[in-house]
Amino acid sequence: MPGYVSTFQYQSAISHAPQFAPRSYRHFTVSPITGAMGADVEGIDLATASDAAIAELEQALVDHLALMIRDQSLEPAQQIAFANRLGRAFPWPFAREMEGYPEITELIQEPGDKYAFGGTWHSDSCNFEKPPKYTMLYCVECPPVGGDTGFSNQYLAWESLDPKLRAELEDVRTVASAELGYGTGSQDAEVLANATTKVTWNPELNHETLHPLARTHPVTGRKALYTCDSFTARFEGKTQEESLPLLRKLWAHAVTPEFTCRLRWKPGSLAIWDNRCCMHYAHSDYPGHRRHMRRIVVEGERPV
Amino acid sequence: MPLASLPVLRHPTAYDMQRALLHAPQLAPRDYHHIKAAPLSGALGAEVTGVDLAGLGASALAEIADALSDHLVLVFPGQALAPAGQIAFARRLGPVKTWPYARPMPGYPELTELVSGPSDIHNFGGGWHTDSSTFPRPPAFTVLQCIEGPDAGGDTSFANQYLAWESLPEAVRGALAGLRLIHATSKGFGDHSRSTGSSHVTTTPVLVPAEHEGLESSHPVARTHPVTGRKALYVNAGFADRFDGWSPHQSQPLLDALAAHGGIPEFTCRVRWRPGTLVVWDNRCCLHYAHNDYAGQRRVMRRAVVEGEVPL
Repeated sequence: MPGYVSTFQYQSAISHAPQFAPRSYRHFTVSPITGAMGADVEGIDLATASDAAIAELEQALVDHLALMIRDQSLEPAQQIAFANRLGRAFPWPFAREMEGYPEITELIQEPGDKYAFGGTWHSDSCNFEKPPKYTMLYCVECPPVGGDTGFSNQYLAWESLDPKLRAELEDVRTVASAELGYGTGSQDAEVLANATTKVTWNPELNHETLHPLARTHPVTGRKALYTCDSFTARFEGKTQEESLPLLRKLWAHAVTPEFTCRLRWKPGSLAIWDNRCCMHYAHSDYPGHRRHMRRIVVEGERPV
Repeated sequence: MPLASLPVLRHPTAYDMQRALLHAPQLAPRDYHHIKAAPLSGALGAEVTGVDLAGLGASALAEIADALSDHLVLVFPGQALAPAGQIAFARRLGPVKTWPYARPMPGYPELTELVSGPSDIHNFGGGWHTDSSTFPRPPAFTVLQCIEGPDAGGDTSFANQYLAWESLPEAVRGALAGLRLIHATSKGFGDHSRSTGSSHVTTTPVLVPAEHEGLESSHPVARTHPVTGRKALYVNAGFADRFDGWSPHQSQPLLDALAAHGGIPEFTCRVRWRPGTLVVWDNRCCLHYAHNDYAGQRRVMRRAVVEGEVPL
């Protein structure tokens, strides 16, 4: 993106990433996945982990943004209990709740489904006043191949923008629209009719929310780009037409392959990621197979 | 459909995408006797084990050829072939010549050693591309081996261009079917060939010989694979200068749209390297992207390219 990104800037951003020099952890092992973000975690049982182990896990999340925690065996109540150790798990209002476990959304794609839940680059529910800080997804069943989740580090997306452009954008806010992300126009009706897990739209839940384009992470103090085409309608004080040319460039920049990693699922794997500094993408490349995940979102702060 | 209405392509609907993906052998690989092939994603790519590329029998080679047709990209971990061994394996796939745009490896003119030093800014092979599409006969296969690399970072991603083509709406395919693209060395490597100073940011500079500076080749936008008979999108955005009969300026919006379409995540897989891993891919039906996410680290790869046909 000539004029927007400097390769030198990008290299200096990425050479600070802890991906190349992970800390030593006492309670589990952490193996970084790419130079940008993401790590595999082995050797922890989330159902019985000590407070010290959970604190270490949150540290690993700060460093690596998304963790794929292997070899778990979690009942719904245990997954909720784990989530509540990281904050407040809350029922997600845009899909059916799991019976008996309102904090869990079951994301099920049947072999004949045509619709992939989460099949765009996005940060979860970034239209909320207080969007979830973490999302955790537990894999109950997945195809032998396909159905990976991609992630993109939005600290790197922000830090690699041209310094002049960053200075111009630092105090800009964007308008996120619930209807844009979840409304009836957000999905092809014919496709939605063939979906097991649907986004359930309720016009009473429609709202617009103002968020900073570059949000400051409350733990790291670093700024991360915070916009996606699923929810961002326009810049504050500008029309959609005025906003789209720059927004489209930022959205393309935000998912530069150098900022990404791709995590592969196995039954019993639990992924947890920080929505404040990364986006994700559900790959729908497994027609004819069933995939069954259980999702919990953990409440976050109002973005600043 | 008038061509003028094409430049803005929508993300394929789930229907178009799933229809294309349903034909992929990724979800139902064949049974092999000599090799084991474990697919990497729903789109393309397989890890192949149980075979030593240094001592390959004819029937194992035939299975590898089948697997390449099915999966487009094969990843062979733990091979650690010596330079002569890598060249010999590449020759089993077709004629191997010196790649003219970089210094050949001393003593092995068929190999290019791609070295990224810790302070390199640019990498070799960034951006989605297919190798050497400016040649009249671009390489059918590329055979790349990892000699040294970081623990994390430096992956290569691949994108299945059969799926890219097949997932376009029928009317768009109809409009594109007869179109040709002019691929120009000067578009992709122009700066490198003129700037001898580029070596301060790249340990392996691209050095375009004078007789190649004006090289252009015209290839179909949708090429038909000589083995599978399937059409694949053949748009190499970094090198495709213009559609035949259009100006570069007229061509760019449609080129950009097709380039974005070709890299949709559902068409891709991502390969992680270890020293000794050798990967073969088919340039006629897939794109690849070298991730430059390992600042401060050293990475050494050795590459051979296998000559292909005139694209039809």
